[in-house]
Amino acid sequence: MIRSHFKGVLVEGNKTYAEVTRDIALPTETKPSRWWYAAMTLATLALLAGAWALYETFAYGLGTWGINNTVAWGWDIINFVWWIGIGHAGTAFTIFLLIFRQKWASSINRTAEAMTVFAVLCAALFPLLHMGRPWLAFYILPYPNTRGPLWLNYNSPLFWDVLAISTYLLMSITLWYFGMIPDLATIRDRSKSKFKKTIYGIFAMGWSGSAIQYNRYESLNKILGGLAAPLVISVHSIVALDFAVSVIPGWHTTIFPPYFFVGAIFSGFAMVLTIMIMLRKVLKIKDFVTDKHLEFIARVLQFGSLIIGSSYLMEIFIAWYSGVEYEAFTFLHVRASGNFSSDFWIMVLCNAIMPQFFWFKKFRKSLFWLFIISIMINIGMWFERFVIIVSSLSQDFLPANWATYKPTLVDIGLYVGTFGLFMAGMLMFIRFIPIIAINEVKGISKLGYEENKEKE
Amino acid sequence: MSKKSVIGVFDDENRVVSAIKKLKENKVKINDVYGPFASHDILSLVTKPTRLPHLAFIFGAVAAILTFLFVYYTSVINYPLSYGGKPTFSFPPMVVIIYLITILGTATLTVFAFIGRTAMYPGKKAKMPGIGAMDDKFFVVIDQKNTVADVESLMRNSGAIEIRHEEF
Repeated sequence: MIRSHFKGVLVEGNKTYAEVTRDIALPTETKPSRWWYAAMTLATLALLAGAWALYETFAYGLGTWGINNTVAWGWDIINFVWWIGIGHAGTAFTIFLLIFRQKWASSINRTAEAMTVFAVLCAALFPLLHMGRPWLAFYILPYPNTRGPLWLNYNSPLFWDVLAISTYLLMSITLWYFGMIPDLATIRDRSKSKFKKTIYGIFAMGWSGSAIQYNRYESLNKILGGLAAPLVISVHSIVALDFAVSVIPGWHTTIFPPYFFVGAIFSGFAMVLTIMIMLRKVLKIKDFVTDKHLEFIARVLQFGSLIIGSSYLMEIFIAWYSGVEYEAFTFLHVRASGNFSSDFWIMVLCNAIMPQFFWFKKFRKSLFWLFIISIMINIGMWFERFVIIVSSLSQDFLPANWATYKPTLVDIGLYVGTFGLFMAGMLMFIRFIPIIAINEVKGISKLGYEENKEKE
Repeated sequence: MSKKSVIGVFDDENRVVSAIKKLKENKVKINDVYGPFASHDILSLVTKPTRLPHLAFIFGAVAAILTFLFVYYTSVINYPLSYGGKPTFSFPPMVVIIYLITILGTATLTVFAFIGRTAMYPGKKAKMPGIGAMDDKFFVVIDQKNTVADVESLMRNSGAIEIRHEEF
């Protein structure tokens, strides 16, 4: 039996194992309802917009984007960093809450990991397109070639990024897939149609639920988790180094790796909250994802917001205290009071101020406010990346080179397209895969009830 | 390879655990226990610690050394190229690459080791003692030859809902 210091119950309704299986497997066994088709239609439309934007990009080149000589990184890199940030939620959820022995994560980690996989896929698209000639993307890998052989510049954070993101994508998929093998076996054993049995059987790889198998499986999961934990930290730190290693004012700071990392966890958890609230609304999972779960996420967000807020303050303080006039100009003039002040203050309001309402129980308990604030954090984190990237580039050392930046329809189309990809992926996920780790939840479903029984 | 076995069916984790404890006290060798989730009490009673972590460590060490050798060979020996006058052998940036490839290599090789050891592959037919092992039932499988004591009554007294004698 798993011991936990958690007070109370983690799964409501004192369910038997069979009821746990039945409740979670339900969406994979019944025809999806109308909202699912509506959402899928929306996702398909968004994907079509993305396909059009992709066509424009391939056919006419990066000139169709809003970037220019001065602001060479625009929505592409903003969206890349934003999606990667959201992609931190899953692994962070599984790993860090595992390390801290937070059993409540069991009912959310599968969905969070699915989010990770689709968000990282969306993210990876942007740097690929930003290369201009994506069909030559293999140039960034070290392979024996006829150009010397000209290997790679290992000092470049851009190359580290390639490795970090591809490693992270592979690890997230592995962690996600191996986490669900027992549940795929559960669906396989339950399904009556032969076709379904075969498909789930192929993916369940002959899982039988024997103790010897579980023992090795648990060990594998611990190893993968242990390896993924430092990886989560390194991915966004390396993304931060893409900026921090350059000499652009506003980017060239040592605070960037931890600042980006906390930002990523922050935005990831916010997206988890958004999605969990929506899923709770449409699927019958309220017994597994209780109000308490949402409150816990809100507390994590509140803590993250404090760190983010102090990072903002620290950046401004160091810009003044360091005595570097370019830094001071970027932070105090361009961002806080200049051309980008509205974006800057939206960022501060959404990320540093709004989550502070979670100090009050009333806001942590109210689904409405949880939803609103989680959406605001998602928006705020997008603006954070916008402020960092565009404001620094648009007004740097040489006033003669200053330029403004405006996204084009193609930029917007690509962004909408990734939303379509993410949504379609998540919808397929909730249709075909148990969205809660059935086997893990069975291990905790009795918690709380037995202690009460003992007391009696 | 199926053997004549005694299979005890349970529907509660605590009852299985007490049954396994009693069987162990009577020196009955348990072949395996099937259940819907990884119960740590059952695992600690029935299974030996796996050697997968040791293997993972070896994989990691090998991946780290190979990555270092590769990066050193490509940037120092095979085609040394000056990037802004920086030394061709510069260890700090190599650390990042070694770190990432070590994680990737260890994870990949450990997964393959796991698949190999458990003999799992896509489309394999699951060998299960009965319906419900992945739903709400626990199955304690004992080799018929090893039933020295009165296994049946031991399991029944611990709360088995069914005892079956069959080839498994």
